[in-house]
Amino acid sequence: MNVKEKIDDLLYKINNPERYIGNEWNEIKKNWSEEKIKTVLAFPDVYEIGMSHLGMKILYHLLNEKDDILCERTFSPWTDMEKLLKENNLPLYALESGRAINEFDILGFTLQYEMSYTNILNILDLSDLAVRSKNRSEEDPLVIAGGATVFNPEPLAPFIDLFFVGEAEEVIVELIEKYKKLKKEGFYKKEILKKLNQISGVYIPSLYEAEISGDKYKLNPLDQNAKKNIDKQVVENLDEAYYPTDFIVPYMDIVHDRAVLEISRGCTRGCRFCAAGMTYRPTRERSKERLLSLADQILDSTGYSEISFTSLSTVDHTQIADLTETFMDKYKKDNISLSLSSLRVDDFSVELAEKVQKVRKTGLTFAPEAGSQRLRNVINKGVSEEDLYEAVKSAFNSGWHRIKLYFMIGLPTETKEDLEGIVKMAKKVLKIGKEIRKNTDKRMKKIEVQVSVSTFIPKPFTPFQWVSMPSKEKIIAKQDYLRKHLRAKGLKFSWNDPDLSLLEGVIARGGRNIGDVIETAWQNGAKFDSWNDHFDPDIWYDAIKENEFELANLIGKINLDSDLPWSHINTGVKKEFLKKEYKKSFSEEITEDCREESCTQCNVCHDLGVKLDLIGNDFNEN
Amino acid sequence: MKIRIEFSKLKGVRYISHLELMDTIRRAVRRANLPAKYTQGYNPHLVLSLGQPLAVGMIGKGEFFDFNLKEKVEEKKIVQRLNDSLPQYIKIKEARYVPDDVKSLQAIVDTAIYSIDFAYDKNKVDDEKILKSLQSKNEIEIIRKRRNKEDRKLDLAPMIYDIELDNKLPIWHFTVSTGSSGNVRPSELIKALNERYDLIKKVPLVNVIREGMYVKQKNKLLKPFASQVVRS
Repeated sequence: MNVKEKIDDLLYKINNPERYIGNEWNEIKKNWSEEKIKTVLAFPDVYEIGMSHLGMKILYHLLNEKDDILCERTFSPWTDMEKLLKENNLPLYALESGRAINEFDILGFTLQYEMSYTNILNILDLSDLAVRSKNRSEEDPLVIAGGATVFNPEPLAPFIDLFFVGEAEEVIVELIEKYKKLKKEGFYKKEILKKLNQISGVYIPSLYEAEISGDKYKLNPLDQNAKKNIDKQVVENLDEAYYPTDFIVPYMDIVHDRAVLEISRGCTRGCRFCAAGMTYRPTRERSKERLLSLADQILDSTGYSEISFTSLSTVDHTQIADLTETFMDKYKKDNISLSLSSLRVDDFSVELAEKVQKVRKTGLTFAPEAGSQRLRNVINKGVSEEDLYEAVKSAFNSGWHRIKLYFMIGLPTETKEDLEGIVKMAKKVLKIGKEIRKNTDKRMKKIEVQVSVSTFIPKPFTPFQWVSMPSKEKIIAKQDYLRKHLRAKGLKFSWNDPDLSLLEGVIARGGRNIGDVIETAWQNGAKFDSWNDHFDPDIWYDAIKENEFELANLIGKINLDSDLPWSHINTGVKKEFLKKEYKKSFSEEITEDCREESCTQCNVCHDLGVKLDLIGNDFNEN
Repeated sequence: MKIRIEFSKLKGVRYISHLELMDTIRRAVRRANLPAKYTQGYNPHLVLSLGQPLAVGMIGKGEFFDFNLKEKVEEKKIVQRLNDSLPQYIKIKEARYVPDDVKSLQAIVDTAIYSIDFAYDKNKVDDEKILKSLQSKNEIEIIRKRRNKEDRKLDLAPMIYDIELDNKLPIWHFTVSTGSSGNVRPSELIKALNERYDLIKKVPLVNVIREGMYVKQKNKLLKPFASQVVRS
């Protein structure tokens, strides 16, 4: 059924109808023919957010490279569109063919953020599919998921048939081809799943039964094929790995409306709160030659006039200075602008930013994360106050007038002095800016320091996975303190909704039984939880109660020897390393980056048979 | 040198806004590798000027835009290269060089033809009669809604130049005044008929096609790149 054709005449009734039409430049429309395997990638948020997500783009183009695979896209419809679909008795559809989602063979979800999980259930429901795997039939699509938060798949285990753990570039095609073969041979879904389980990185939750009581969490295999551990998949050589160049160019002004070039993957700085830093190890870089050639093809194919170099820590790329300079020289005549994501707190970063942003100096962002040297040692953020002041001095001197500072509250061992430190640093930055502005003869806009403070959330596979979150009252008290003291002309303070952070914490470390909470919350209307105007914390707190949980327990401290719901997943970083880091944090001991000092024994290279892959030889000199 | 281009915005992109359309054209010009002229200064961009915006949801079959080139490229080549670089639902029909000092599209286009599908049953509605009745009126007054301003009474009659009925379909073709010297909105045509004749129901803008945009000279409708237009 072509749902898109049926709804198209009615789209004038809703906001942003261009979210639901597809037809963009570089969209791939393939014939819906018998021999093809039909897959659809679903992003559990609106179009403009999903279309800014790199992982989904990589998979879309990679799968469509294969003649016998068809890959389409779908996104969470906004509530007005959901209503329109329901009023007309129409299911959710894929943008390319306009066909209903349940006509596809495989439905693949991109996991990006815990608070979008209710949207996954909603997409299943709008596709006329049962939300629980066990209630879906043979004819229904195979429901798979992967992405940034897959390392603790348990809260989604009741809803997903198959998880893919880690980087999918090298294995996803094999997985889909194997599915096609098995399906053709007439196997039932249950049998197919058992066979797909042999592929590394694949986790089939239905092959296990969870035994949960107190701090005991055991996954008992229900089948002899059930693997003891599921190994994260890693692209060994990023430089040779697939990277798309014919990106779709949306009509809509999406969140990141530019070409995106991933220059490296992984980060070994070892911040103890950072899930991405721990789970995407080791660091692997793309070479300057490859990046320049990719940039060329991407700009040519998309017509974008802006490109962004991204990675977890862009400035850490060993060839970044050379790469940036060569790029700027090459494209100056074509009016192409370049942006760099995630700058380090240092002079070098500002110099680079200066090189790329010669003209419109909008704003620079630095993340000291904590307000005192003591606490920065606890979280292993290797930044000193002096680094920050030097960096902002260069920034103001180079003409930037707006500086954004990121901090966290609720970090383990935090005291009042640490909060005072945030205030002190922010005010000092403001003062430095104002002085430079006063003494310069150049025209400079009024100095603005934006202090953005988020609440720390303990995440699986980080050294802080065992620590507790502060109560709602405590979070509010901390935010109140900062709101009261971060008052000055030119100072702006922003914070996160405490309820949203707490619930993110609940899901992040949840077991299978948290799936019940997600389902209850969704049944009672939770969706688009990360959108202010939709988020209703009471729905969630009621769902927690209804399923007989206590919030305090869910966000509390976990004993070092307790079972963890995600212990069957092997990210390569071994638990002993995380424990050691956990202990070191409380004695305020720093662990150096393995790129600069010796191996930190996190074990990822040994365990997964990979290695740090740095392109430049001179990486120690930066 | 300035090139003036006629294009269609078809059903597959009828929901993209005027600004989104402009961004799409700018990127297509880049992709087409045309020697376009960019502004000087800090933030160089392609100067692109379009005619009166087409409302979201409507199809346009004779729309126009202008931009400048640094060096001459054959008109046919421009058409071909842009079509190769645009999503399939935006179709370039014709490109013609116009003098650099030509008046802008917004300044000269004064007439538009809209086709409105009123979706009634042609066997049950005597539309000829309705049309005659409408044409016999000296005044077709409507209330114009204005953003952030008071509503205003407006007589459409002098701004409707011609109405034709389709033989077989419930489609009306209106030739009306458009632009700064008097603008008739399709939604107002729909409202005016609906308020006066019970058999004509309100239809949404997706039932409207802007067939073309013209310059009116001595009762003749000319395309905005016609030689009589650009020379005068």
